[in-house]
Amino acid sequence: MFFRWIERNPFFMAAWISLVIAVAGLIEIVPDFAKAARPVEGLKPYTVLELAGKEVYKKDNCIACHSQLIRPFKSETDRYGDFSVSGEYAYDRPFLWGSKRTGPDLHRVGRYRTTVWHEAHMWNPPAVVPGSIMPAYRHMWKNAADIETAYAEAVTVKNAFHTPYGPGIRKGKEAWEKYKPTVLAQARKVAEEMKGTEGVSKEEVLKMIDSGKVPEIVALIAYLNRLK
Amino acid sequence: MNGLMAKVIGFAALLMVATIAVVKYMHVDLSDPVNLITMVGAAAVAFLTAGVATKYISQMKTDTSTGELAEENWDGIGEYKNELPAGWAYTFVGVFVWSLWYGLLGYPVTAYSQVGEYNKEVQEYNKKFAKTFANASDEQLLDMGRSIYLVQCAPCHGITRDGNDGQAQDLTKRMAKAQILDVIKNGQNQLGYPMGAMPPGMASGEAAEKIAEWIASGAKGTPPAEFAVCASCHGADGKGNNGMAPNLTTYDETLMKHVLEHGKKGIIGQMPAFKGRFVPVQEKALARYLQSFEE
Amino acid sequence: MQSNAALEYDYSLAKKFTFLTILFGFLGMLIGTLLAAQLAFPSLNYLLGEYGTFSRLRPLHTNIVIFGFTVSGIFATWFYIGQRVLKVSLKESKFLMTVGNIQFWLYFVGALLAVVSLLMGITESKEYAQFEWPFDIVVVIIWVLWGLNIMGLIGIRREKALYISVWYYLACFLGISMLYLFNNMALPTYFTSGGLGSFFHSVSMYSGTNDALVQWWYGHNAVAFGFTVPIVGMIYYFLPKESGQPVYSYKLSLLSFWGLLFVYLWAGSHHLMWSTVPDWMQTMGSVFSVLLILPSWGSAINMLLTMKGEWQQLTENPLIKFMILASTFYMLSTIEGPIQAVRSVNAIAHFTDWIIGHVHDGVLGWVVFMIMSAIYHMTPRMFKREIYSKKLIETQFWLQTTAVVLYFTSMWIAGITQGMMWRAVDEYGNLMYSFIDTVNALHPYYVIRTIAAIMYLAGFMMFMYNIYKTVTAGREIEEEPQFRTPIAA
Ligand code: HEC
Ligand code: HEC
Ligand code: HEC
Ligand code: HEM
Ligand code: HEM
Ligand SMILES: [Ca+2]
Ligand SMILES: [Ca+2]
Ligand SMILES: [Cu+2]
Repeated sequence: MFFRWIERNPFFMAAWISLVIAVAGLIEIVPDFAKAARPVEGLKPYTVLELAGKEVYKKDNCIACHSQLIRPFKSETDRYGDFSVSGEYAYDRPFLWGSKRTGPDLHRVGRYRTTVWHEAHMWNPPAVVPGSIMPAYRHMWKNAADIETAYAEAVTVKNAFHTPYGPGIRKGKEAWEKYKPTVLAQARKVAEEMKGTEGVSKEEVLKMIDSGKVPEIVALIAYLNRLK
Repeated sequence: MNGLMAKVIGFAALLMVATIAVVKYMHVDLSDPVNLITMVGAAAVAFLTAGVATKYISQMKTDTSTGELAEENWDGIGEYKNELPAGWAYTFVGVFVWSLWYGLLGYPVTAYSQVGEYNKEVQEYNKKFAKTFANASDEQLLDMGRSIYLVQCAPCHGITRDGNDGQAQDLTKRMAKAQILDVIKNGQNQLGYPMGAMPPGMASGEAAEKIAEWIASGAKGTPPAEFAVCASCHGADGKGNNGMAPNLTTYDETLMKHVLEHGKKGIIGQMPAFKGRFVPVQEKALARYLQSFEE
Repeated sequence: MQSNAALEYDYSLAKKFTFLTILFGFLGMLIGTLLAAQLAFPSLNYLLGEYGTFSRLRPLHTNIVIFGFTVSGIFATWFYIGQRVLKVSLKESKFLMTVGNIQFWLYFVGALLAVVSLLMGITESKEYAQFEWPFDIVVVIIWVLWGLNIMGLIGIRREKALYISVWYYLACFLGISMLYLFNNMALPTYFTSGGLGSFFHSVSMYSGTNDALVQWWYGHNAVAFGFTVPIVGMIYYFLPKESGQPVYSYKLSLLSFWGLLFVYLWAGSHHLMWSTVPDWMQTMGSVFSVLLILPSWGSAINMLLTMKGEWQQLTENPLIKFMILASTFYMLSTIEGPIQAVRSVNAIAHFTDWIIGHVHDGVLGWVVFMIMSAIYHMTPRMFKREIYSKKLIETQFWLQTTAVVLYFTSMWIAGITQGMMWRAVDEYGNLMYSFIDTVNALHPYYVIRTIAAIMYLAGFMMFMYNIYKTVTAGREIEEEPQFRTPIAA
C-alpha cells in the first residue's frame, strides 16, 4: 500500500509532505494577491516623519498591547469609529493589526486624540487615565528618531512598489541632505503644538529639532495623529 | 462514571460556574447570541476535554492492552495494528457534516458578507433606537449622556468632568474668565454658527473684564450694561439668540452639536471633532448631561 | 533486526542542545514571569530603563521560548531519537558530526545576538518573525544544516522503514523551511536607498491585508510545525519507550499524521477573523480549524490508549504522569483553538486574554511538559547516571500542574469577561464600559497569573537542579535500561 511504501522511501515522503502542505497556501493565499490591496481613494503615503514614528512604534513594540483593526461590530465602531477596510492599509509594510488588545485599538486614534493628549499620556499614562497599566515612555524624549532610515524606507517603497512619493525622495546621500530640512520642518510643526511636560520643556524639544535631531516622541505623535 | 472522571468533570463545571458568575457580576447580557454561543463553546471545551480524556485515562485502570503486533520494531518500540477507536471515527464523520453545513449554509462561502451583516445590524438598531427614544424622558437623557460621556469624553475631561488638571475644558462650569477674555480679544471662528465669525476686539479693558466676570460666574441675573455689544449676537440674556451664536450660559444642545461636529481649539488646547459618531438623541443626551453641572 | 547493544550512539550533540534547552527555557520563563507581573504591577516596567518595558520584553519572551527553548529541544531530541530509531550512530559519519557542530555553534551565537537585537528594538514587528534580515539568514543557514543532518542520517540508516517520530521531524523541517522563507521576504533598505540609514532595517515585500495573510499563514503554522508536529514526534518515541508498551494503532498514527499535515495549513486565517481578508477565506479558516480536532485528538488518544491497562505505571512513574498530562493538555488546547476559531466565539475571544490562556495551556501543559519528560528520559542514558531525586520530580509535577491550571483558568475568565465587557451595552444601547474599566476588571486575574508564573518557574528550577545533580552526582549505572528510566527514590 502507498503509505507503507512511502515510509520506506524518504525522498518521496519528503516530496509528498511538501506537496500536501503547499496546497492550502496556493488556494487560500494567492487569490488575494491577484487583486493586490489597492489604496482607498485619497490615501496618502506616510510622510518621512510619520514613517520614522512608525519605526518608533515598531521599536518599542506597541503592537504588544495595541491593535489597529476595527472589526465590523457596532460595539467597535461606537468605540473607535468606522470599521477598517482593506485599502486603508495599502502602504502598511508591515501590517500592524496586532493580536492582543491589552490597550485600546489605535487605528483611528488620530481622530479623537490630540498632540497634547499624547504628550501627557506617553509621559505618564496613569496621570491622564487613572488606573492605566501602560508603561511611561520617557526615553522617547531623549532618543532621536532615525529619520534617515525612514527616508531610506520611503526611497525603497517608492522605487520597488511604486508608492506615490514626490520627486524629492531619491536615492543617495545628497538627495537625503536636501530633503532633511523638510522632515525637520514637519517635526517642528508637531512640536509647536506640544505643551511641555514636567520633565522636558517645549523649548528643549524645539532646541533638539533645531540641532537636526527629531526626538522619538515627536515622530511618534506625528504617526499617531496620522492614524485616522 | 468513576471517581477520576467525576472529579475532573466537577472541575470543568466549577470553571463554567465561575465564568458565568464573573460575567454576570459585570452585567453582561448572556442572551445576546454572540455571548451565548461563546458560553456554549467554552462549556464544550471544558466538558469534552474533561470527559474524553478521563474516559481514556480510566481505561488504563480497567482495560488491558491487546492487539496484533506489526512486524517492525524501532529501538524496542512496537506497534499494534488495532482498528480506529469507534468514537473517534464517528466524530470524524460528524465534524465533516458540520463543516459542510457551516461553509455552505451557516456562512456560505459564496454569499456571506460580514459588512452586510454589520450594516443590517446597525440599521435595525438605529431604527429601534430612534423609535424607543424619540421622546426620551429627562431622566433617561441624563443617564444616557453620562454613559456616553464616560466612554468617549472622560479620557480628556476626566471622570469628574473637571477637565483633568487643565487638560481639557472644565465642564463643571461654562467658561473660565481667561477663556472669555481671549475670545473677546481675538475673536473666534470655528464652530459653524449661522452668525459666522465672532469679530475680535468687541470690548476691551474694564468693560471686557466686567463682561467676562459675569459670564464666568454663571451668567446669573441681569447682565452688566457693557454686555449690550454682545447681545446683538448672543441675545440679551447671553443664551445665544435661538442658536444664532453660542449660548454663553450653559452647554445647550445647539452648542453641543456644533462642538461635536467641528471640534474646538482654544487657549486650553484642541478638542477633536466627533463628526458622525452620534445620532441626534445622543447629542441631546450629552448636552443634557453637561448641563447637569447647574444642579 | 539488530540488537541495540551493538551500536554505540554519539550523544555529544544531544547533550549540547539539551544544555541550551534548559538555559533558554529558564531565561524565557523568567522573562514570562516578569511580563505577567508587569501587567499586575505596572511599576515593574522601570527596572531596566527603556529596555525593561513590557512591550520591549514581550518579543524576547516569545522568541526565546520558541526559537531558543523549543527549537533546542527539538534539536536535542532529534540528535537522540534520530540515531536510535534509524539505527545508525553519528560516530559513523564525520561529515554529519561536523555539520552538526557547526549548526550548534552558529545557533548558540546567533541566538544570543538575536536576543540582543530584539532588546535594542531592532525588529520587523511581525509576531514570531521579529528578527531582521541578517538574523533571518542565519536562521535559514542553521535550518539547512539541520536538514542536511536529517537527510544524511536517513540516508545511511539501517532501519528500512521510518518510525513515526521521524515522519514528524521531517515534516517539521520541511514545513518551517517553506513558511519561514516566504514570510520573511523583505528588502533591506540600506542597499536599496544608496547606503542610507540603518544596515539592519528592511521593509516587507507584502503590504496590508496581503502581509497579514502571509504572516498568519506563517504564524499559525509556526505553531503547527514548532509546537505541535515535533512535539508529537517526541511523544511517539518517549511514551512507548518509557512505558515499554507498543503504540496502540498504526492506522490511527497514519491518519492523524497525514490529516494533520493536510488540514493545518488551511486554518491560518482563523487569526484574521472579522478582519479585512475576504469573507470566504475566514470561513475556510473556521471550517478547517474544527476539522483539525480530529487529527490532533487522534494522536493524543493513540497515546492514551497505548497506556491501556498500565495504571500502575501512571501512579508510580512520574515521567509517565508528565506525558499523560501533556497529552491531556494537548487535547485541551486543540479543542479550545477550534472553538475559538468559530466566528461568533472569535468575536469575543480575539484580542483578549482567553487567547493567551489557550497559548499557555498548549505551551506550558504540552510543549514544556513533553520536553522536560524527554530530558528526564535522555539524561540517564546520555550520562549513564540515575535521576537524582524522585521526590523532587513529584513535587515539581504537582507544583507545575497547579500552576498551569491557575494560568489557564485565570486567563480564561479574564478573556471571556473582557471580551464581553467590550461589547456590553446599557439599556440605551450605548457602550457600558470605558476601555479602562475593562482593564481594571482584569487586575485580580493578572495577580493570580503572576502567582501561577512564579510556581511554574519554581518547578522548572527544581527540574534544572535535578538534572544538574543527576549529571554531577547521580548514582552511576552500568547498563542502559531498556524501558523505565531509573530514578533514585
Ligand atoms: C502594557 C501594555 C501597553 C503597552 C506596551 C502600550 N500601551 Fe498604550 N495603552 C495601554 C492601556 C491599558 C491603555 C488604556 C488606558 C490608557 O489610556 O492609558 C492604553 C492607551 C493608549 C492610547 C490611548 C488610546 C485611547 O483610545 O485612549 C494610546 C494613543 C496609546 N496607548 C499608545 C501607545 C503607544 C504608542 C505605545 C508604545 C510606544 C503603547 N501605547 C504601549 C496599554 C499599553
Ligand atoms: C457679530 C456677532 C457677535 C458678537 C457681537 C459677539 N459674538 Fe461672541 N460669538 C459669535 C459667534 C458667531 C461665535 C461662535 C464663533 C465660532 O464659530 O467659533 C461666538 C463665540 C463666543 C464665545 C465662545 C463660546 C464657546 O463656547 O466657544 C464667547 C465666550 C463669546 N462669543 C463672547 C462674546 C462676548 C463677551 C461678546 C461681546 C463683547 C461677543 N461674544 C460678541 C458672535 C458674536
Ligand atoms: C482629546 C481630548 C478631548 C476629548 C476626547 C473630548 N474633548 Fe471636549 N475639549 C477638549 C479640550 C482640550 C477642550 C478645550 C478647548 C478650548 O481650549 O476651549 C474641550 C472643550 C469642550 C467643550 C467646551 C466647548 C466650548 O464651547 O467651550 C465641550 C462642551 C466639550 N469639550 C465636550 C466634549 C464631549 C461631549 C466629548 C465627548 C463626546 C469631548 N468633549 C471629548 C478635549 C477633548
Ligand atoms: C513561567 C512560564 C511563563 C509565563 C509566566 C508566561 C507569561 C506570558 C505572558 C505574561 C505573556 C504576554 C501575554 C499578554 O500579552 O497579555 C506571554 C506570551 C506568550 N508566551 Fe508565555 N509565559 C510562560 C512560558 C511560556 C512558554 C514556555 C512558551 C512557549 C514554549 C510561551 C509562549 C508564549 C507565546 C507564544 C506568547 C504570545 C502569545 C500571543 O501573542 O498570543 N510562554 N507569556
Ligand atoms: C487544533 C488545533 C488548534 C487550533 C484550531 C487553534 C486555533 C487557534 C485560534 C483560533 C487562535 C486565536 C486567534 C485569534 O483570535 O487571535 C489561536 C491562537 C494561538 N494558538 Fe492555537 N489552536 C490550535 C492548537 C494550538 C496549540 C497546540 C498550540 C501550542 C502549543 C497553539 C498555540 C497558539 C498560539 C501561540 C496562539 C497565539 C497566536 C497569536 O499570537 O495571536 N494552538 N489558536
Ligand atoms: Ca499575539
Ligand atoms: Ca524576520
Ligand atoms: Cu492558529
